[in-house]
Amino acid sequence: MDRYYKKRLVPLALPAVILFVMVVLVPFIVGVVYSFTGWRGTYFVGGEHFWQSFVGIENYIKAFKTKQFMDALVYTVRFTVVAVIVVNVASLGVSLLASYLHRGAATYRTVYFSTNLLGGLALGYIWQFIFEIVFSQILFGEKGIISLPALCNMTQDNTKALFALVMLFTWQTMGYMMIIYTTGLNNISKDLFEAASIDGANAWQRFWKITVPMLMPSFTIVFFMTLSKCFMLLDQNIALTDGNFGTRMLATQILRTTRDSSPPDYGLAQAQAVIFFVLIAGVTLAQVSFTSKKEVEV
Amino acid sequence: MSMKGRHTVGQIITHIVMISVAIYTLAPIVLLFINSFKSNNEIVESPVALPSSWSFDKIINAAGQIHFLKSLGITFVITVISITLLVLVSSLGAWVMVRSKTKFAHVLYLGFTAAMLIPFQSLMYPLLNIFDSMGMKNIPGLIIMYGGFGISMSIFMYHGFIKSIPQSLEEAAIIDGANLFQMFFYIVFPLLKSTTVTVIVMNGMWIWNDYLLPFLVIGNREGVKTLTLELYFAKLTAGQYGNPWELIFPAVLVTSIPIMILYIFVQKYIVAGVADGAVKM
Repeated sequence: MDRYYKKRLVPLALPAVILFVMVVLVPFIVGVVYSFTGWRGTYFVGGEHFWQSFVGIENYIKAFKTKQFMDALVYTVRFTVVAVIVVNVASLGVSLLASYLHRGAATYRTVYFSTNLLGGLALGYIWQFIFEIVFSQILFGEKGIISLPALCNMTQDNTKALFALVMLFTWQTMGYMMIIYTTGLNNISKDLFEAASIDGANAWQRFWKITVPMLMPSFTIVFFMTLSKCFMLLDQNIALTDGNFGTRMLATQILRTTRDSSPPDYGLAQAQAVIFFVLIAGVTLAQVSFTSKKEVEV
Repeated sequence: MSMKGRHTVGQIITHIVMISVAIYTLAPIVLLFINSFKSNNEIVESPVALPSSWSFDKIINAAGQIHFLKSLGITFVITVISITLLVLVSSLGAWVMVRSKTKFAHVLYLGFTAAMLIPFQSLMYPLLNIFDSMGMKNIPGLIIMYGGFGISMSIFMYHGFIKSIPQSLEEAAIIDGANLFQMFFYIVFPLLKSTTVTVIVMNGMWIWNDYLLPFLVIGNREGVKTLTLELYFAKLTAGQYGNPWELIFPAVLVTSIPIMILYIFVQKYIVAGVADGAVKM
């Protein structure tokens, strides 16, 4: 029987392999190679072919010396740290509350998840309006309900915009992550909690000694998803501030690098893109191996 | 207070918290809805009030500006074909990779999954360059790109599930004289239903709303723009002198309505798809 499948492995897996090679593998390798050349998009500096245009690690040195890139890197890390914490606390919080409810949990989940259906761009436009008009004029402006300058014109200041983006991102992803946490909570056997209660553990102890360790597989997934989503955030960044006021994130920076200079410096953009890949792969792999180690078998 | 009384109070307080979060979740959507009927002045002066009239003028105008029916059709076709391609190719591929149990199949599988760590930005410029030189910077090219990007995750999901279903049914089918495709489509594929739902949901949500890939592939070309692209360019063109909210709100509303209607009918499957996807990872 194994031979039956072995003979058919290549022809049946071929369409998948072709798609993968064409769209992911070849462009990725080409991208890494081009990051070491003077690529300008339509031509190569110094010759007709890329091998006549090698510049060593010049593009990488240039990338780290490009202020916009370094600013984008720092901004992305700042955003990611805050957003990952806020999204996780919020989604775990509502999951725990929902699991405590006798009825209605599914309805809340359906409502919370609905924000995931809209595109980042559409959401970004709505929130831009909320921050610029509703927050700045009606709620927290000088003539507003409570005057809170910190919450006014949030899209026009580097730090405020970071929190604006966190609010938007949390609003959008909380429902998604809540589903994952709820699935994890439902998989924990009720017997464990009952046994602990009989032994005299209070709610706080049950949470830290049972819920958290048993929920580790969910933490692994949610952290992985939020980390990579945060690092790669683009649509919302473009819609909310368009990268103005020093709010460019890495994904936006790579997209805009080719517009920042003339002729467009694709070699530099590509070097930034490779650094971006190493960063994301490194951080997410480290996180997955760290949280997976904490998973317990029962 | 009695045990039961304390319990009821706890339930009520929890409901109050959950309802507050629901209000926070829905407020922007309500805002989107009511402001879709207002003029620019009315939007800026009284953004949270109900519109003075429920006339559909602004919505019809916005729908016209973003060529709603045409861009809806294009987005629909792109999404449906990409997903069909993904489901067929990845389920077949994952199935033979699991069943053939060779080293080569395992290496192949590892290659697919490792690629999940590659962000789109790190290969988009060469990708565009290559597809452009093949004359495929168009909608068919876009569909192939979605196929290529979605394949890793989809194979990963199918692979995990197929491992858990026994091979004996397939052996019986072969003894009964079924050919390979009969066996796959009549026996294996129906068993994969829950994974197929997950693959459709996860890829569908992404492809339908995607901005960057259509922007790079199609850009501002007339007559082939997706909904998201039409929205982006409508805002860009009208927004050179401040924000044209009376266009943006109804435009966002009409681009979002199809997916909201769909959600009302299939939300059970979407939530199940997301939950299953999480467990499989």
